[in-house]
Amino acid sequence: MVINLKKRKVIFENLTGFSFVLPLIIFIIIFLLYPIIASLVLSFFKWKGYGEIDFVGIQNFIKMFTVDRYFPTAINNSIIFSITATLGTILVGFILAVLIDLKIFLWKVYRFIFFLTVILTVVVTGMLWLRIFDPYGLLNSLLDALNFTNLSRPWMGDANIAFGIIVFVTIWQYSGFTMIFFLAGMQNIEEDIYEAARIDGASTFRRIKSITIPLLKNVFAVITMLQLIFSFKVFDIVWVMTAGGPAGGTEVLGTYLYQVAFRKSQFGGGSVIAVIMFLLALIFAFIYVRVLGYRRMLKG
Amino acid sequence: MKVKKKIDIGSFFGKSVVQIILIIWAVLQLYPIIWLFYSSLKPSGEIRSDIFGFPRSLFLENYDFSVLASAGTTIGIYLRNSTIITVISLILITLVSLFAAYAIAKIRFPGKNVLMLVLIGLLGIPVHSLVIPLYYFISQIGLLSNIWGLILPYTAFYAPFSAVLLQAYFREFPDELIEAAKIDGCNNVTVFLRVVMPLTRGAISTVLIINFISIWNEFLFSLVINKNNMAKTIPVGLMNFKGQYYTDWGPMLATMIVAILPPIIFYFIFHRNIIKGMTAGAIKG
Repeated sequence: MVINLKKRKVIFENLTGFSFVLPLIIFIIIFLLYPIIASLVLSFFKWKGYGEIDFVGIQNFIKMFTVDRYFPTAINNSIIFSITATLGTILVGFILAVLIDLKIFLWKVYRFIFFLTVILTVVVTGMLWLRIFDPYGLLNSLLDALNFTNLSRPWMGDANIAFGIIVFVTIWQYSGFTMIFFLAGMQNIEEDIYEAARIDGASTFRRIKSITIPLLKNVFAVITMLQLIFSFKVFDIVWVMTAGGPAGGTEVLGTYLYQVAFRKSQFGGGSVIAVIMFLLALIFAFIYVRVLGYRRMLKG
Repeated sequence: MKVKKKIDIGSFFGKSVVQIILIIWAVLQLYPIIWLFYSSLKPSGEIRSDIFGFPRSLFLENYDFSVLASAGTTIGIYLRNSTIITVISLILITLVSLFAAYAIAKIRFPGKNVLMLVLIGLLGIPVHSLVIPLYYFISQIGLLSNIWGLILPYTAFYAPFSAVLLQAYFREFPDELIEAAKIDGCNNVTVFLRVVMPLTRGAISTVLIINFISIWNEFLFSLVINKNNMAKTIPVGLMNFKGQYYTDWGPMLATMIVAILPPIIFYFIFHRNIIKGMTAGAIKG
Protein backbone atom coordinates (compact mmCIF):
# COMPACT_ATOMS: atom_id res chain seq x y z
CA MET A 1 0.00 0.00 0.00
CA VAL A 2 2.76 2.39 1.05
CA ILE A 3 4.90 1.48 -1.98
CA ASN A 4 1.92 1.99 -4.21
CA LEU A 5 1.34 5.45 -2.80
CA LYS A 6 4.99 6.33 -3.32
CA LYS A 7 4.85 5.08 -6.88
CA ARG A 8 1.74 7.12 -7.56
CA LYS A 9 3.48 10.18 -6.14
CA VAL A 10 6.44 9.67 -8.45
CA ILE A 11 4.18 9.25 -11.46
CA PHE A 12 2.30 12.38 -10.48
CA GLU A 13 5.57 14.29 -10.16
CA ASN A 14 6.73 13.04 -13.56
CA LEU A 15 3.46 14.13 -15.12
CA THR A 16 3.75 17.57 -13.55
CA GLY A 17 7.28 17.86 -14.91
CA PHE A 18 6.17 16.85 -18.40
CA SER A 19 3.28 19.25 -18.43
CA PHE A 20 5.58 22.10 -17.36
CA VAL A 21 7.99 21.52 -20.25
CA LEU A 22 5.34 20.56 -22.81
CA PRO A 23 4.59 24.07 -24.15
CA LEU A 24 8.30 24.72 -24.72
CA ILE A 25 8.70 21.39 -26.50
CA ILE A 26 5.71 22.09 -28.76
CA PHE A 27 7.11 25.49 -29.75
CA ILE A 28 10.54 23.99 -30.42
CA ILE A 29 9.18 21.16 -32.56
CA ILE A 30 6.91 23.35 -34.71
CA PHE A 31 9.11 26.41 -35.16
CA LEU A 32 12.67 25.07 -34.84
CA LEU A 33 13.12 21.33 -35.37
CA TYR A 34 10.58 20.89 -38.14
CA PRO A 35 11.94 23.83 -40.22
CA ILE A 36 15.54 22.66 -39.77
CA ILE A 37 14.65 19.20 -41.05
CA ALA A 38 12.59 20.74 -43.84
CA SER A 39 15.63 22.83 -44.85
CA LEU A 40 17.72 19.68 -45.12
CA VAL A 41 15.07 18.01 -47.27
CA LEU A 42 14.48 21.11 -49.44
CA SER A 43 18.17 21.37 -50.33
CA PHE A 44 17.70 18.26 -52.51
CA PHE A 45 14.75 19.74 -54.42
CA LYS A 46 14.16 22.38 -57.05
CA TRP A 47 11.31 24.58 -55.94
CA LYS A 48 10.14 28.17 -56.39
CA GLY A 49 8.05 28.24 -53.23
CA TYR A 50 4.94 27.39 -55.22
CA GLY A 51 3.94 25.02 -58.02
CA GLU A 52 6.09 22.09 -59.10
CA ILE A 53 8.65 20.57 -56.81
CA ASP A 54 11.34 18.37 -58.38
CA PHE A 55 13.82 16.06 -56.72
CA VAL A 56 17.29 16.88 -58.06
CA GLY A 57 19.55 15.00 -55.61
CA ILE A 58 22.77 16.81 -54.81
CA GLN A 59 22.47 18.96 -57.95
CA ASN A 60 21.85 22.10 -55.87
CA PHE A 61 25.04 21.55 -53.90
CA ILE A 62 27.13 20.86 -57.01
CA LYS A 63 25.76 23.96 -58.75
CA MET A 64 26.44 26.12 -55.71
CA PHE A 65 30.06 25.03 -55.48
CA THR A 66 30.91 24.91 -59.20
CA VAL A 67 28.91 27.25 -61.43
CA ASP A 68 27.37 29.79 -59.04
CA ARG A 69 28.82 33.26 -59.60
CA TYR A 70 28.47 34.75 -56.13
CA PHE A 71 28.61 31.79 -53.76
CA PRO A 72 32.45 31.56 -53.65
CA THR A 73 32.64 35.29 -52.83
CA ALA A 74 29.95 34.87 -50.18
CA ILE A 75 31.66 32.01 -48.36
CA ASN A 76 35.03 33.73 -48.69
CA ASN A 77 33.67 36.96 -47.26
CA SER A 78 31.92 35.11 -44.44
CA ILE A 79 35.20 33.51 -43.40
CA ILE A 80 37.15 36.76 -43.66
CA PHE A 81 34.43 38.65 -41.80
CA SER A 82 34.30 36.07 -39.00
CA ILE A 83 38.05 36.12 -38.48
CA THR A 84 38.57 39.88 -38.70
CA ALA A 85 35.48 40.81 -36.68
CA THR A 86 36.32 38.23 -34.00
CA LEU A 87 39.96 39.31 -33.74
CA GLY A 88 39.00 42.99 -33.84
CA THR A 89 36.33 42.86 -31.14
CA ILE A 90 38.56 40.70 -28.93
CA LEU A 91 41.61 42.93 -29.34
CA VAL A 92 39.75 46.21 -28.76
CA GLY A 93 37.57 44.69 -26.02
CA PHE A 94 40.60 43.33 -24.19
CA ILE A 95 42.49 46.62 -24.35
CA LEU A 96 39.41 48.49 -23.09
CA ALA A 97 38.94 45.97 -20.27
CA VAL A 98 42.59 46.25 -19.18
CA LEU A 99 42.42 50.05 -19.16
CA ILE A 100 39.10 50.09 -17.28
CA ASP A 101 40.36 47.53 -14.77
CA LEU A 102 43.07 50.03 -13.79
CA LYS A 103 40.11 51.72 -12.03
CA ILE A 104 41.22 55.21 -12.88
CA PHE A 105 38.97 58.27 -12.59
CA LEU A 106 35.53 57.80 -14.25
CA TRP A 107 36.10 54.10 -15.05
CA LYS A 108 32.46 53.27 -14.36
CA VAL A 109 31.32 55.93 -16.80
CA TYR A 110 33.60 54.51 -19.49
CA ARG A 111 32.28 51.00 -18.88
CA PHE A 112 28.73 52.34 -19.21
CA ILE A 113 29.50 54.15 -22.49
CA PHE A 114 31.44 51.29 -24.09
CA PHE A 115 28.62 48.80 -23.61
CA LEU A 116 25.89 51.21 -24.77
CA THR A 117 26.41 50.51 -28.50
CA VAL A 118 25.79 46.77 -27.98
CA ILE A 119 22.06 47.34 -27.40
CA LEU A 120 21.49 49.53 -30.47
CA THR A 121 19.37 48.24 -33.37
CA VAL A 122 21.86 47.10 -36.01
CA VAL A 123 19.71 48.67 -38.75
CA VAL A 124 20.19 52.05 -37.05
CA THR A 125 23.92 51.47 -36.54
CA GLY A 126 24.28 50.69 -40.23
CA MET A 127 22.22 53.66 -41.39
CA LEU A 128 24.08 55.94 -39.01
CA TRP A 129 27.48 54.92 -40.37
CA LEU A 130 26.13 55.24 -43.91
CA ARG A 131 25.48 58.90 -43.07
CA ILE A 132 29.13 59.17 -42.01
CA PHE A 133 30.49 57.50 -45.16
CA ASP A 134 27.89 59.08 -47.49
CA PRO A 135 29.41 60.98 -50.47
CA TYR A 136 28.04 64.14 -48.80
CA GLY A 137 28.35 62.70 -45.32
CA LEU A 138 30.24 63.49 -42.15
CA LEU A 139 33.63 62.05 -43.12
CA ASN A 140 33.87 63.74 -46.51
CA SER A 141 32.66 67.03 -45.00
CA LEU A 142 35.35 66.75 -42.36
CA LEU A 143 38.02 66.00 -44.98
CA ASP A 144 36.83 69.02 -46.99
CA ALA A 145 36.97 71.24 -43.94
CA LEU A 146 40.53 70.08 -43.21
CA ASN A 147 41.55 70.67 -46.85
CA PHE A 148 42.04 66.98 -47.59
CA THR A 149 39.43 67.09 -50.35
CA ASN A 150 41.53 64.78 -52.50
CA LEU A 151 41.06 62.02 -49.91
CA SER A 152 37.26 62.17 -49.94
CA ARG A 153 35.50 59.56 -52.05
CA PRO A 154 32.23 57.64 -52.33
CA TRP A 155 33.38 55.20 -49.65
CA MET A 156 30.69 52.56 -50.06
CA GLY A 157 31.20 52.46 -53.84
CA ASP A 158 34.31 50.29 -53.56
CA ALA A 159 33.67 46.70 -52.42
CA ASN A 160 36.94 46.36 -50.52
CA ILE A 161 36.57 49.64 -48.66
CA ALA A 162 32.88 48.91 -47.98
CA PHE A 163 33.77 45.50 -46.56
CA GLY A 164 36.44 47.04 -44.33
CA ILE A 165 33.90 49.61 -43.13
CA ILE A 166 31.41 46.86 -42.26
CA VAL A 167 34.08 45.09 -40.19
CA PHE A 168 35.00 48.37 -38.52
CA VAL A 169 31.37 49.19 -37.64
CA THR A 170 30.97 45.70 -36.15
CA ILE A 171 34.05 46.26 -34.00
CA TRP A 172 32.70 49.70 -33.06
CA GLN A 173 29.40 48.20 -31.95
CA TYR A 174 30.47 44.98 -30.22
CA SER A 175 33.83 45.64 -28.55
CA GLY A 176 31.86 46.59 -25.44
CA PHE A 177 30.39 43.10 -25.44
CA THR A 178 33.76 41.33 -25.34
CA MET A 179 35.02 43.93 -22.87
CA ILE A 180 32.34 42.95 -20.37
CA PHE A 181 33.42 39.29 -20.54
CA PHE A 182 37.06 40.19 -19.94
CA LEU A 183 36.10 42.46 -17.03
CA ALA A 184 34.05 39.64 -15.48
CA GLY A 185 37.08 37.35 -15.79
CA MET A 186 39.43 39.95 -14.34
CA GLN A 187 37.23 40.24 -11.25
CA ASN A 188 38.15 36.67 -10.38
CA ILE A 189 41.89 37.33 -10.39
CA GLU A 190 43.20 37.61 -6.84
CA GLU A 191 44.63 40.97 -5.93
CA ASP A 192 47.52 39.31 -4.05
CA ILE A 193 49.00 38.02 -7.29
CA TYR A 194 49.30 41.54 -8.68
CA GLU A 195 50.56 42.79 -5.34
CA ALA A 196 53.31 40.13 -5.24
CA ALA A 197 54.33 40.98 -8.80
CA ARG A 198 54.43 44.66 -7.92
CA ILE A 199 56.70 44.02 -4.96
CA ASP A 200 58.94 41.96 -7.23
CA GLY A 201 59.21 45.06 -9.39
CA ALA A 202 57.22 43.91 -12.43
CA SER A 203 56.05 46.74 -14.68
CA THR A 204 52.35 47.27 -15.42
CA PHE A 205 52.83 45.96 -18.92
CA ARG A 206 54.68 42.90 -17.61
CA ARG A 207 51.95 42.20 -15.08
CA ILE A 208 49.29 42.26 -17.82
CA LYS A 209 51.37 39.99 -20.05
CA SER A 210 52.40 37.48 -17.39
CA ILE A 211 49.37 37.46 -15.09
CA THR A 212 46.22 38.82 -16.73
CA ILE A 213 46.48 37.13 -20.14
CA PRO A 214 47.43 33.62 -18.92
CA LEU A 215 44.77 33.66 -16.22
CA LEU A 216 42.11 34.74 -18.71
CA LYS A 217 42.87 31.86 -21.08
CA ASN A 218 39.41 30.35 -20.61
CA VAL A 219 37.67 33.67 -21.13
CA PHE A 220 39.60 34.13 -24.37
CA ALA A 221 38.53 30.67 -25.54
CA VAL A 222 34.86 31.22 -24.68
CA ILE A 223 34.62 34.67 -26.18
CA THR A 224 36.43 33.60 -29.36
CA MET A 225 33.89 30.83 -29.91
CA LEU A 226 30.95 33.13 -29.12
CA GLN A 227 32.18 35.81 -31.52
CA LEU A 228 32.81 33.26 -34.27
CA ILE A 229 29.28 31.90 -33.85
CA PHE A 230 27.79 35.42 -33.94
CA SER A 231 29.84 36.73 -36.83
CA PHE A 232 29.31 33.72 -39.05
CA LYS A 233 25.59 34.44 -39.13
CA VAL A 234 26.05 38.12 -39.91
CA PHE A 235 23.17 39.53 -41.95
CA ASP A 236 21.75 42.80 -40.64
CA ILE A 237 24.75 45.10 -40.92
CA VAL A 238 25.71 43.86 -44.41
CA TRP A 239 22.14 44.02 -45.69
CA VAL A 240 21.67 47.56 -44.42
CA MET A 241 25.02 48.99 -45.50
CA THR A 242 25.59 47.36 -48.90
CA ALA A 243 22.93 44.63 -49.43
CA GLY A 244 25.85 42.52 -50.67
CA GLY A 245 26.92 45.04 -53.32
CA PRO A 246 28.53 46.68 -55.13
CA ALA A 247 28.37 43.90 -57.73
CA GLY A 248 28.14 41.16 -55.10
CA GLY A 249 31.53 42.16 -53.66
CA THR A 250 30.42 42.24 -50.02
CA GLU A 251 28.02 39.29 -50.19
CA VAL A 252 28.16 36.99 -47.13
CA LEU A 253 26.36 33.66 -46.62
CA GLY A 254 23.48 35.31 -44.74
CA THR A 255 22.74 37.95 -47.37
CA TYR A 256 23.27 35.55 -50.23
CA LEU A 257 20.75 33.12 -48.76
CA TYR A 258 18.21 35.94 -48.67
CA GLN A 259 19.01 36.91 -52.28
CA VAL A 260 18.73 33.37 -53.61
CA ALA A 261 15.65 32.31 -51.66
CA PHE A 262 13.57 35.46 -51.45
CA ARG A 263 14.72 37.58 -54.41
CA LYS A 264 15.30 34.85 -57.00
CA SER A 265 12.74 32.45 -55.46
CA GLN A 266 15.15 29.50 -55.56
CA PHE A 267 14.17 27.72 -52.38
CA GLY A 268 16.37 24.70 -53.11
CA GLY A 269 19.49 26.77 -53.71
CA GLY A 270 18.74 28.90 -50.65
CA SER A 271 18.36 25.75 -48.58
CA VAL A 272 21.84 24.62 -49.62
CA ILE A 273 23.25 27.75 -47.97
CA ALA A 274 20.93 27.18 -44.99
CA VAL A 275 22.28 23.65 -44.57
CA ILE A 276 25.90 24.84 -44.83
CA MET A 277 25.25 27.51 -42.19
CA PHE A 278 23.51 24.97 -39.97
CA LEU A 279 26.40 22.51 -40.19
CA LEU A 280 28.94 25.23 -39.46
CA ALA A 281 26.87 26.40 -36.48
CA LEU A 282 26.71 22.81 -35.24
CA ILE A 283 30.50 22.44 -35.46
CA PHE A 284 31.03 25.74 -33.66
CA ALA A 285 28.50 24.79 -30.98
CA PHE A 286 30.21 21.43 -30.52
CA ILE A 287 33.62 23.06 -30.06
CA TYR A 288 32.05 25.64 -27.77
CA VAL A 289 30.53 23.00 -25.50
CA ARG A 290 33.83 21.09 -25.52
CA VAL A 291 35.73 24.25 -24.58
CA LEU A 292 33.31 25.15 -21.85
CA GLY A 293 32.43 21.69 -20.59
CA TYR A 294 28.88 20.41 -20.66
CA ARG A 295 28.57 20.25 -16.87
CA ARG A 296 29.46 23.91 -16.53
CA MET A 297 26.77 24.84 -19.04
CA LEU A 298 24.13 22.95 -17.08
CA LYS A 299 25.00 25.00 -14.03
CA GLY A 300 24.91 28.14 -16.15
CA MET B 1 33.92 56.15 -2.60
CA LYS B 2 37.11 54.18 -2.19
CA VAL B 3 37.96 51.82 -4.98
CA LYS B 4 40.54 49.10 -4.52
CA LYS B 5 43.18 49.25 -7.17
CA LYS B 6 44.49 45.98 -8.47
CA ILE B 7 47.21 47.46 -10.60
CA ASP B 8 48.64 50.81 -9.64
CA ILE B 9 49.98 52.57 -12.69
CA GLY B 10 51.26 55.22 -10.34
CA SER B 11 52.69 58.02 -12.36
CA PHE B 12 50.64 61.00 -13.45
CA PHE B 13 51.93 60.46 -16.98
CA GLY B 14 50.64 56.87 -17.11
CA LYS B 15 47.24 57.89 -15.84
CA SER B 16 46.99 60.68 -18.39
CA VAL B 17 47.81 58.38 -21.29
CA VAL B 18 45.14 55.90 -20.17
CA GLN B 19 42.60 58.70 -19.76
CA ILE B 20 43.34 60.01 -23.25
CA ILE B 21 42.93 56.59 -24.88
CA LEU B 22 39.64 56.01 -23.05
CA ILE B 23 38.36 59.48 -23.96
CA ILE B 24 39.18 58.95 -27.65
CA TRP B 25 37.27 55.65 -27.76
CA ALA B 26 34.37 57.14 -25.77
CA VAL B 27 34.10 60.03 -28.25
CA LEU B 28 34.25 57.62 -31.18
CA GLN B 29 31.41 55.63 -29.63
CA LEU B 30 29.24 58.49 -28.44
CA TYR B 31 29.66 61.21 -31.05
CA PRO B 32 27.74 59.45 -33.86
CA ILE B 33 24.84 58.81 -31.49
CA ILE B 34 24.86 62.36 -30.16
CA TRP B 35 25.09 63.72 -33.71
CA LEU B 36 22.07 61.58 -34.58
CA PHE B 37 20.10 63.04 -31.66
CA TYR B 38 20.71 66.71 -32.37
CA SER B 39 20.61 66.42 -36.17
CA SER B 40 17.15 64.86 -35.94
CA LEU B 41 16.06 68.27 -34.62
CA LYS B 42 17.20 70.10 -37.78
CA PRO B 43 15.34 70.50 -41.11
CA SER B 44 16.83 68.37 -43.92
CA GLY B 45 18.20 71.45 -45.69
CA GLU B 46 20.09 72.58 -42.63
CA ILE B 47 21.59 69.09 -42.12
CA ARG B 48 22.87 69.26 -45.70
CA SER B 49 24.34 72.74 -45.57
CA ASP B 50 25.82 72.49 -42.08
CA ILE B 51 26.31 68.83 -41.29
CA PHE B 52 28.14 69.18 -37.96
CA GLY B 53 26.36 72.23 -36.51
CA PHE B 54 23.92 72.16 -33.63
CA PRO B 55 20.30 73.04 -34.53
CA ARG B 56 19.80 76.80 -34.86
CA SER B 57 16.31 76.38 -33.49
CA LEU B 58 14.40 73.30 -32.40
CA PHE B 59 12.73 71.76 -35.44
CA LEU B 60 10.27 69.10 -34.29
CA GLU B 61 8.50 68.47 -37.62
CA ASN B 62 10.76 65.48 -38.32
CA TYR B 63 8.90 63.78 -35.50
CA ASP B 64 5.46 64.60 -36.93
CA PHE B 65 4.44 61.10 -37.93
CA SER B 66 1.26 62.23 -39.72
CA VAL B 67 3.31 64.15 -42.32
CA LEU B 68 5.41 61.07 -42.96
CA ALA B 69 2.36 58.86 -43.13
CA SER B 70 1.18 60.76 -46.18
CA ALA B 71 4.56 60.03 -47.79
CA GLY B 72 4.12 56.30 -47.21
CA THR B 73 6.40 55.87 -44.21
CA THR B 74 4.09 55.11 -41.36
CA ILE B 75 6.36 55.27 -38.33
CA GLY B 76 3.42 55.40 -35.95
CA ILE B 77 2.21 52.06 -37.29
CA TYR B 78 5.70 50.50 -37.20
CA LEU B 79 6.02 51.65 -33.62
CA ARG B 80 2.66 50.14 -32.73
CA ASN B 81 3.52 46.85 -34.48
CA SER B 82 6.90 46.61 -32.77
CA THR B 83 5.37 47.35 -29.37
CA ILE B 84 2.53 44.82 -29.68
CA ILE B 85 4.76 42.08 -31.08
CA THR B 86 7.45 42.64 -28.46
CA VAL B 87 5.06 42.75 -25.50
CA ILE B 88 3.05 39.63 -26.43
CA SER B 89 6.22 37.71 -27.33
CA LEU B 90 7.77 38.62 -23.99
CA ILE B 91 4.72 37.40 -22.09
CA LEU B 92 4.66 34.10 -23.99
CA ILE B 93 8.43 33.53 -23.76
CA THR B 94 8.44 34.25 -20.04
CA LEU B 95 5.51 31.91 -19.32
CA VAL B 96 6.81 29.06 -21.46
CA SER B 97 10.41 29.30 -20.26
CA LEU B 98 9.56 29.85 -16.57
CA PHE B 99 7.57 26.63 -16.27
CA ALA B 100 10.11 24.64 -18.28
CA ALA B 101 13.06 26.03 -16.33
CA TYR B 102 11.41 25.27 -13.01
CA ALA B 103 10.65 21.69 -14.05
CA ILE B 104 14.23 21.18 -15.28
CA ALA B 105 15.69 22.53 -12.06
CA LYS B 106 13.33 21.19 -9.41
CA ILE B 107 10.99 18.44 -10.64
CA ARG B 108 12.05 14.84 -11.32
CA PHE B 109 11.03 13.50 -14.71
CA PRO B 110 12.71 11.24 -17.29
CA GLY B 111 14.33 12.76 -20.40
CA LYS B 112 15.40 15.88 -18.58
CA ASN B 113 19.05 15.68 -19.65
CA VAL B 114 18.15 15.09 -23.28
CA LEU B 115 15.91 18.15 -23.20
CA MET B 116 18.70 20.23 -21.67
CA LEU B 117 21.11 19.06 -24.37
CA VAL B 118 18.59 19.99 -27.09
CA LEU B 119 18.07 23.43 -25.54
CA ILE B 120 21.81 24.13 -25.43
CA GLY B 121 22.24 22.81 -28.97
CA LEU B 122 19.54 25.20 -30.19
CA LEU B 123 21.31 28.26 -28.76
CA GLY B 124 23.75 28.53 -31.65
CA ILE B 125 21.38 27.73 -34.51
CA PRO B 126 21.24 30.63 -36.98
CA VAL B 127 17.77 31.81 -37.98
CA HIS B 128 18.97 31.52 -41.58
CA SER B 129 19.01 27.76 -41.42
CA LEU B 130 15.27 27.58 -40.86
CA VAL B 131 13.88 30.75 -42.38
CA ILE B 132 12.91 29.28 -45.79
CA PRO B 133 10.61 26.45 -44.60
CA LEU B 134 9.33 28.64 -41.79
CA TYR B 135 8.38 31.35 -44.28
CA TYR B 136 6.48 28.78 -46.32
CA PHE B 137 4.81 27.28 -43.24
CA ILE B 138 3.69 30.68 -41.99
CA SER B 139 2.34 31.62 -45.41
CA GLN B 140 0.40 28.32 -45.46
CA ILE B 141 -1.28 29.00 -42.12
CA GLY B 142 -2.11 32.49 -43.33
CA LEU B 143 0.04 34.44 -40.87
CA LEU B 144 2.24 36.42 -43.29
CA SER B 145 2.14 40.13 -42.39
CA ASN B 146 0.28 39.19 -39.21
CA ILE B 147 1.59 39.88 -35.72
CA TRP B 148 1.23 36.18 -34.79
CA GLY B 149 3.45 35.25 -37.72
CA LEU B 150 6.27 36.84 -35.75
CA ILE B 151 5.14 36.29 -32.15
CA LEU B 152 4.94 32.50 -32.34
CA PRO B 153 8.36 31.96 -34.00
CA TYR B 154 9.96 34.56 -31.69
CA THR B 155 8.68 32.59 -28.72
CA ALA B 156 10.37 29.49 -30.11
CA PHE B 157 13.59 31.39 -30.93
CA TYR B 158 14.09 33.01 -27.53
CA ALA B 159 12.43 30.62 -25.04
CA PRO B 160 15.26 28.00 -25.13
CA PHE B 161 17.86 30.60 -24.17
CA SER B 162 15.57 31.97 -21.45
CA ALA B 163 14.91 28.48 -20.07
CA VAL B 164 18.64 27.66 -19.93
CA LEU B 165 19.34 30.90 -18.11
CA LEU B 166 16.42 30.62 -15.69
CA GLN B 167 17.01 26.99 -14.74
CA ALA B 168 20.49 27.99 -13.56
CA TYR B 169 18.89 30.44 -11.13
CA PHE B 170 16.20 27.98 -10.03
CA ARG B 171 18.85 25.33 -9.37
CA GLU B 172 20.32 27.54 -6.66
CA PHE B 173 16.91 28.02 -5.05
CA PRO B 174 16.91 26.26 -1.62
CA ASP B 175 14.96 22.97 -1.66
CA GLU B 176 14.09 23.45 2.03
CA LEU B 177 11.81 26.36 1.17
CA ILE B 178 10.01 24.26 -1.42
CA GLU B 179 9.66 21.32 0.97
CA ALA B 180 8.36 23.58 3.70
CA ALA B 181 5.74 25.03 1.36
CA LYS B 182 4.72 21.54 0.28
CA ILE B 183 4.23 20.49 3.90
CA ASP B 184 2.03 23.54 4.28
CA GLY B 185 -0.17 22.05 1.56
CA CYS B 186 1.18 23.61 -1.63
CA ASN B 187 1.51 21.53 -4.79
CA ASN B 188 4.13 22.06 -7.53
CA VAL B 189 2.09 24.73 -9.25
CA THR B 190 1.35 26.80 -6.16
CA VAL B 191 4.92 26.40 -4.85
CA PHE B 192 6.12 27.77 -8.15
CA LEU B 193 3.69 30.69 -8.24
CA ARG B 194 3.75 31.70 -4.55
CA VAL B 195 7.26 30.82 -3.38
CA VAL B 196 9.74 30.49 -6.21
CA MET B 197 8.57 33.21 -8.60
CA PRO B 198 8.48 36.11 -6.14
CA LEU B 199 11.96 35.20 -4.90
CA THR B 200 13.54 34.99 -8.36
CA ARG B 201 12.16 38.28 -9.63
CA GLY B 202 15.69 39.53 -10.39
CA ALA B 203 16.46 36.65 -12.73
CA ILE B 204 13.11 36.99 -14.44
CA SER B 205 13.59 40.69 -15.10
CA THR B 206 17.06 40.06 -16.50
CA VAL B 207 15.62 37.57 -18.99
CA LEU B 208 12.80 39.98 -19.85
CA ILE B 209 15.15 42.85 -20.60
CA ILE B 210 17.54 40.83 -22.75
CA ASN B 211 14.67 39.34 -24.72
CA PHE B 212 13.15 42.79 -25.10
CA ILE B 213 16.32 44.09 -26.75
CA SER B 214 16.68 41.03 -29.00
CA ILE B 215 13.07 41.13 -30.22
CA TRP B 216 12.86 44.90 -30.60
CA ASN B 217 15.99 44.80 -32.77
CA GLU B 218 15.26 41.58 -34.70
CA PHE B 219 15.60 42.17 -38.42
CA LEU B 220 16.01 39.17 -40.73
CA PHE B 221 12.91 37.20 -39.80
CA SER B 222 10.75 40.30 -39.62
CA LEU B 223 12.00 41.30 -43.07
CA VAL B 224 10.95 37.95 -44.52
CA ILE B 225 7.55 37.68 -42.86
CA ASN B 226 6.26 41.26 -43.14
CA LYS B 227 5.99 42.28 -46.76
CA ASN B 228 2.93 44.46 -46.20
CA ASN B 229 3.97 48.00 -45.25
CA MET B 230 1.25 48.21 -42.59
CA ALA B 231 2.62 45.11 -40.80
CA LYS B 232 6.29 46.13 -40.65
CA THR B 233 8.25 46.46 -37.42
CA ILE B 234 10.54 49.45 -36.88
CA PRO B 235 13.86 47.95 -38.10
CA VAL B 236 12.22 46.75 -41.32
CA GLY B 237 10.21 49.96 -41.74
CA LEU B 238 13.43 51.94 -41.47
CA MET B 239 14.60 50.31 -44.68
CA ASN B 240 11.95 52.36 -46.58
CA PHE B 241 14.30 55.30 -46.19
CA LYS B 242 17.00 53.54 -48.16
CA GLY B 243 15.13 54.06 -51.40
CA GLN B 244 12.95 56.96 -52.36
CA TYR B 245 13.50 59.38 -49.47
CA TYR B 246 17.24 59.01 -49.42
CA THR B 247 17.96 62.73 -49.49
CA ASP B 248 15.37 63.60 -46.87
CA TRP B 249 17.64 63.10 -43.89
CA GLY B 250 15.55 64.85 -41.22
CA PRO B 251 12.65 62.37 -40.94
CA MET B 252 15.05 59.47 -41.46
CA LEU B 253 17.20 60.50 -38.49
CA ALA B 254 14.08 61.09 -36.37
CA THR B 255 12.84 57.58 -37.14
CA MET B 256 16.24 56.14 -36.24
CA ILE B 257 15.97 57.89 -32.87
CA VAL B 258 12.50 56.42 -32.32
CA ALA B 259 13.95 52.97 -33.04
CA ILE B 260 16.82 53.17 -30.55
CA LEU B 261 15.18 55.20 -27.80
CA PRO B 262 13.37 52.31 -26.04
CA PRO B 263 16.49 50.10 -25.75
CA ILE B 264 18.55 53.11 -24.63
CA ILE B 265 16.03 54.02 -21.92
CA PHE B 266 16.04 50.40 -20.76
CA TYR B 267 19.82 50.43 -20.72
CA PHE B 268 19.92 53.53 -18.55
CA ILE B 269 17.57 51.93 -16.02
CA PHE B 270 18.66 48.30 -16.12
CA HIS B 271 22.28 48.27 -17.34
CA ARG B 272 23.32 46.10 -14.39
CA ASN B 273 20.80 43.38 -15.28
CA ILE B 274 21.67 43.58 -18.97
CA ILE B 275 25.40 43.19 -18.44
CA LYS B 276 24.92 40.41 -15.89
CA GLY B 277 22.46 38.50 -18.05
CA MET B 278 24.59 38.70 -21.17
CA THR B 279 27.68 37.29 -19.49
CA ALA B 280 25.80 34.68 -17.44
CA GLY B 281 25.71 31.19 -18.82
CA ALA B 282 28.93 31.65 -20.71
CA ILE B 283 31.38 32.49 -17.95
CA LYS B 284 29.93 31.42 -14.62
CA GLY B 285 30.35 27.99 -13.13
